[in-house]
Amino acid sequence: MSNIVVLDNGGGLIKAGQGGERDPTTVIPNCLYKPLSSKKFLHTSPLTTLSDEIDLTSASVRRPIDRGYLINSDLERDIWSHLFTSLLHISPSSSSLLLTEPPLSIPSVQRSTDELVFEDFGFSSLYVAHPQSLVHLYEASRQPDSVLSKTQCSLVVDCGFSFTHAVPVLHNFTLNHAIKRIDLGGKAFTNYFKELVSYRSINVMDETFLVDDAKEKLCFVSLDLLRDLRLARSGNNLIKSTYVLPDGVTHTKGYVKDPQAAKRFLSLSDKDHVESDFMAKVGDRKKADMNKNEIDLTNERFLVPETLFQPADIGINQAGLAECIVRAVSSCHSYLQPVLYQSIILAGGSTLFPQLKERLEVELRPLVPEHFDVKITTLEDPILGVWRGGSLLASSPDFESMCVTKADYEELGSARCRRRFFH
Amino acid sequence: MEEEMTNRRVSNRTRKVATKMAAALTSNDNRTQAAIARLEALENDNGAIEVVDVNDDEEASLDEDDDLGYVQKKQHKGSKRKTRQAKALEARRAPKSFLELLQEANLESLPAHVPTYLKAAVGPPSSSSRRHFCSVCGYIAGYNCCLCGMRFCSIRCQNIHKDTRCQKFVA
Repeated sequence: MSNIVVLDNGGGLIKAGQGGERDPTTVIPNCLYKPLSSKKFLHTSPLTTLSDEIDLTSASVRRPIDRGYLINSDLERDIWSHLFTSLLHISPSSSSLLLTEPPLSIPSVQRSTDELVFEDFGFSSLYVAHPQSLVHLYEASRQPDSVLSKTQCSLVVDCGFSFTHAVPVLHNFTLNHAIKRIDLGGKAFTNYFKELVSYRSINVMDETFLVDDAKEKLCFVSLDLLRDLRLARSGNNLIKSTYVLPDGVTHTKGYVKDPQAAKRFLSLSDKDHVESDFMAKVGDRKKADMNKNEIDLTNERFLVPETLFQPADIGINQAGLAECIVRAVSSCHSYLQPVLYQSIILAGGSTLFPQLKERLEVELRPLVPEHFDVKITTLEDPILGVWRGGSLLASSPDFESMCVTKADYEELGSARCRRRFFH
Repeated sequence: MEEEMTNRRVSNRTRKVATKMAAALTSNDNRTQAAIARLEALENDNGAIEVVDVNDDEEASLDEDDDLGYVQKKQHKGSKRKTRQAKALEARRAPKSFLELLQEANLESLPAHVPTYLKAAVGPPSSSSRRHFCSVCGYIAGYNCCLCGMRFCSIRCQNIHKDTRCQKFVA
């Protein structure tokens, strides 16, 4: 039995490893980056070993995945060959590949992916899965008594790097006619964050990795937007936080100035009333920034994830996350709807913002008929959840029969082979 | 099957563009152009700079390595004088963006029950009222600049806007 390589090919991060294991062997960013110190684009190193010596200031980046789908197969081939030889130490010709691809891909993208797998690398067989069905599989195995595993049906909300999907999954197949997509993801959040910070203090439009880091450490979802805006305006310390940019001399990585203080927003409860303190500290904010490489962040911390709930805030004419879920569920058969509302799973890196689940519950409950129960579960690790589902699938006994082998591909071609996956 | 093929070959020119987008694209209005530029900036990988091609890197090093001498300059110059044909070939080899691929796939010609990327987009929000935030401080904005349309919440913010960044996005 050949070994199976599980590869979760995401827009932001690639998670790769052997099927059957608990955790992926490596997690690397899916891009080539060029720091200031080099003239060529370099491969990234795995996230766990990212050492302090690498200077990520003003590093430019090239990604093979555009809007979630793989379009630049040359670049992806480069990244994968580095991954397979130096990080995973496998030889493709003796392994099978379990690959993830976002739902509703177009045929030319699917064809170029198949070419990449079979012709450039020569894997012995391939199985393409939607990440959402893998999430369902993983969650069902972790909670064998819950509604979602007994009915084999759940609604997976996947907030990834490129976009956000609300996908109903039934018997490990995604119901494609009911999928709804919002074009906001980690990349859009980072870019919006860059725009806000550049407008208000230092120009960080080139600093993708640094702003990403600041977003992951400092952004949170506000439960009451108007109250938090008023708090931020009054210069209240519960929300204000400072991020120190690297200066190349004393430290090469950015860090949050006071991590404990950054968590103080959690102590805000519904009952706090804030007196509006007009005009208090608007002027003061400007002076502190020019001295050192520090950025003061107050309302940007919660305005950035707020766009997921109301994309109209930045001008995108699409509905927010709560409505997206309602529309996805309403497109399904009426017998499925109560079950779907009871088994909502949040997956994907962008669900790691604190308080996202509570805010979603508050927003979703008024939109759902009252005789339906609404229950939202978060994965224990939203980033690795898809990979772990893939690992489970790979270790199941009839996995080999589900794959498409290289011989099949060469005989039938990409389109016929894809039909086996019911995509 | 063949009918589908002939149907697909019928002119690719007639593209349905959303009415708002069509109006915006053709308008010379600063505000709509600024709004579109802003939304497209959200999809950038790299912020303000364009992605640098490997060939361009050679030209960049030309300027920086001046002191390494005359010889190196000559080397670079001799090897890469691109003809128009070479440039066209290279442009064809560059990967197409996803939007171009989407257009080529011509998903509108598929029958209505087939789910596609375009149909999966969640539509416009049910309430068309939107909140506006001050571009200077982030509070809820009540007013907008008459020249460029950016929002602000108070006179202090309006002064800061006028001094520094009115019409920043539309050069």
